[in-house]
Amino acid sequence: MAKARKDSACKITNQASSGRASRRQFIVRTGGLLAAGAFGAVPLRGWAADPVNIGALYPTTGSMAQIGVGCVAAAKLAVDMVNEAGGIKSLGGAKLNLIISDVQSDTTVTRTETDRLITGNKLSAIHGCYASALTLIASEVAERAKVPLITGSSSDQLNKGRTYTFTPFARASQFARAQLQMSKLVSDKPKVAVIFENTAFGTSTSNGLKELAPSEGVEIVMFEPYSAGFTDASPLINKVKSSGANTLFSVSYLNDLILIVRTVKQFGLNISINGGSGGFVIPDFYKNVGKLAEGLQGVAHWNHDVSEDAQKVNAEFKKRTGDFLFEYAGGLVAQTFMLADALERAASPDPQKVRAALSTLDVSSGYAAMAPGGKVKFGPDGKNIYGHPVGVQWQHGDLASIFPKEDARAPMMKI
Amino acid sequence: MFETVAQAVINGLLIGGIYALVSIGVTLIFGVVKIVNFAQGEFVMIGMYISFFLAHQYGIDPLLSLFVTMPVLFVAGVLIQHFLIRRVLGPNDMPQIFLTFALSLLLLNLALMLFTANYRTVHTSYSDEAFHVGGLYIPEAKLIAFGVAMLLSGLLWLFLHTTDLGKAMRAASQNRDVAMLMGINPNRVFCVALGIALALAGAAGSLLMPFYSAYPFVGQVFVLMAFVAVVLGTLGNVMGALVASLMMGIAESLGIQFVGADSGQIVVFGMLLLTLAFKPTGLGGGRAR
Repeated sequence: MAKARKDSACKITNQASSGRASRRQFIVRTGGLLAAGAFGAVPLRGWAADPVNIGALYPTTGSMAQIGVGCVAAAKLAVDMVNEAGGIKSLGGAKLNLIISDVQSDTTVTRTETDRLITGNKLSAIHGCYASALTLIASEVAERAKVPLITGSSSDQLNKGRTYTFTPFARASQFARAQLQMSKLVSDKPKVAVIFENTAFGTSTSNGLKELAPSEGVEIVMFEPYSAGFTDASPLINKVKSSGANTLFSVSYLNDLILIVRTVKQFGLNISINGGSGGFVIPDFYKNVGKLAEGLQGVAHWNHDVSEDAQKVNAEFKKRTGDFLFEYAGGLVAQTFMLADALERAASPDPQKVRAALSTLDVSSGYAAMAPGGKVKFGPDGKNIYGHPVGVQWQHGDLASIFPKEDARAPMMKI
Repeated sequence: MFETVAQAVINGLLIGGIYALVSIGVTLIFGVVKIVNFAQGEFVMIGMYISFFLAHQYGIDPLLSLFVTMPVLFVAGVLIQHFLIRRVLGPNDMPQIFLTFALSLLLLNLALMLFTANYRTVHTSYSDEAFHVGGLYIPEAKLIAFGVAMLLSGLLWLFLHTTDLGKAMRAASQNRDVAMLMGINPNRVFCVALGIALALAGAAGSLLMPFYSAYPFVGQVFVLMAFVAVVLGTLGNVMGALVASLMMGIAESLGIQFVGADSGQIVVFGMLLLTLAFKPTGLGGGRAR
């Protein structure tokens, strides 16, 4: 009976204490802001420009709460940055006023909340909602109300039949291609096992992989849906093992992915894992699997090392929350600056004028250009014509961009 | 091929041990007190959180925290029986169903409020390690969990068959009225049954912690399988629940291997329906043991 041991210390992963401490800091700070709003909103020069209202729709309760709370923290940080830099100058230094609404990780609530937000406030623009399923609904409502919506959600559906929706980052179809190309970094002849949870998210993502694989010269040796929220990953990994794959693509949410990664290790399986995006590229993933995450690859529409500006924002976010600025949250900081740029040029808080200004946005420097490739310009379908995903790898507890070459900020770590 | 099947059976057996701890608790409560405890999964969740916080605050290994979770949940069980369930025992089933269901919702949402929906893991030296026996992999943490689960089941069997209190519990489960006529104090027996059942759920929580994440909904994942095992192994039959749990673990694992990775539950529930069609009282043969 051979036994292999690596660590002897009992290591514990905990998100509670750091989360709670940062939340307290957060409340102290935002509380201060609120108090300033209540008592101290005294115009300095006898008059002040009316603030520009920006709606933020994120799931801060329910199953996606963890990520939604991070998004709201980033949205507040972005607005603070714009306001500290003097607000919207063409509007007399008008401050951005963030109006946050909780969509509760629920499609029905998203519809009513978006409606309520738009009818109850004079909004210039909206951003949200993290999950594509929610954003699709919010964008429909915004379209009808003629309020521009900017989002990092990746569903290609968002670029169809909409004129008020803007997507500055990579689309779902591009993610699949990038993932397949990355498998060739590891092996000349990638034999890929695709396992995916049997939900809308899992099925659509994995079908994209299956369709593109032949044209990328990647062989798929196993293509298997599983029921999300299983008790044990061993049977699934046993199956992956017998398929003879040398690369594993797992389209999963956080908990399943944690079990999968741990079980691959227990089985001593020598296979490179690409965890895709979503739950894989957030700090919580590393906190839960620790060193086992080292060397694992994924894809993201944003990473904190894309530019120097992004690094700066990352440092500030880390100071506020204790965690690095994750994909979706980082993207939405850039989005806020895109909105500020459009407002500046529109010189009006009118949502239709803001939409017109967004459609002619063309940036290649500054915080608004924090994106893989460093350029943002929207096509007629609201898609950033330069948008593409970046391949990332967990290295020493941090996410490093390693693919494609022009976006790579660190060499690929061999495992 | 042989290796693949053997590995699938081992995987199934090991997770079946955990299902057993949860389902034995459910069947014990049903057999003795005659109520269905919908909140059993939430007590597994509480066990996991206790283990997590002990490991996190004091560095106590989750396996050692068994000695905390089991007594704590035993006391909780006694209190719940004494102050809640005792009040609703009567000819009408509805209040009992709603009592345990309400308890489940209350605990689940309290956990969401207190601990948030975050996943929490404890990483021990044996969490990611496995024994390699001729081409087969036996994860250490799961093997330990399985061993302790079987040991606890054995101890429970001994308790039920050799002690007066255990015999009284079996008597109460076979015929409550006659047992009361023989001078058995039902409330005392019920309190102990609830206590033991919850202690087993707590044990399951501690044993799961080295290889599974704790989060408020975690109980729901296990309790569904536990209910199937309870019905499959005849309601109220402890040995039946144990055997059925192990069988279900193996069936699920083989189903994933040979039918499809999303078909593990199809196999399990197919097995349940077939059993009920041909042997409506379950595999335990209709006798409560």
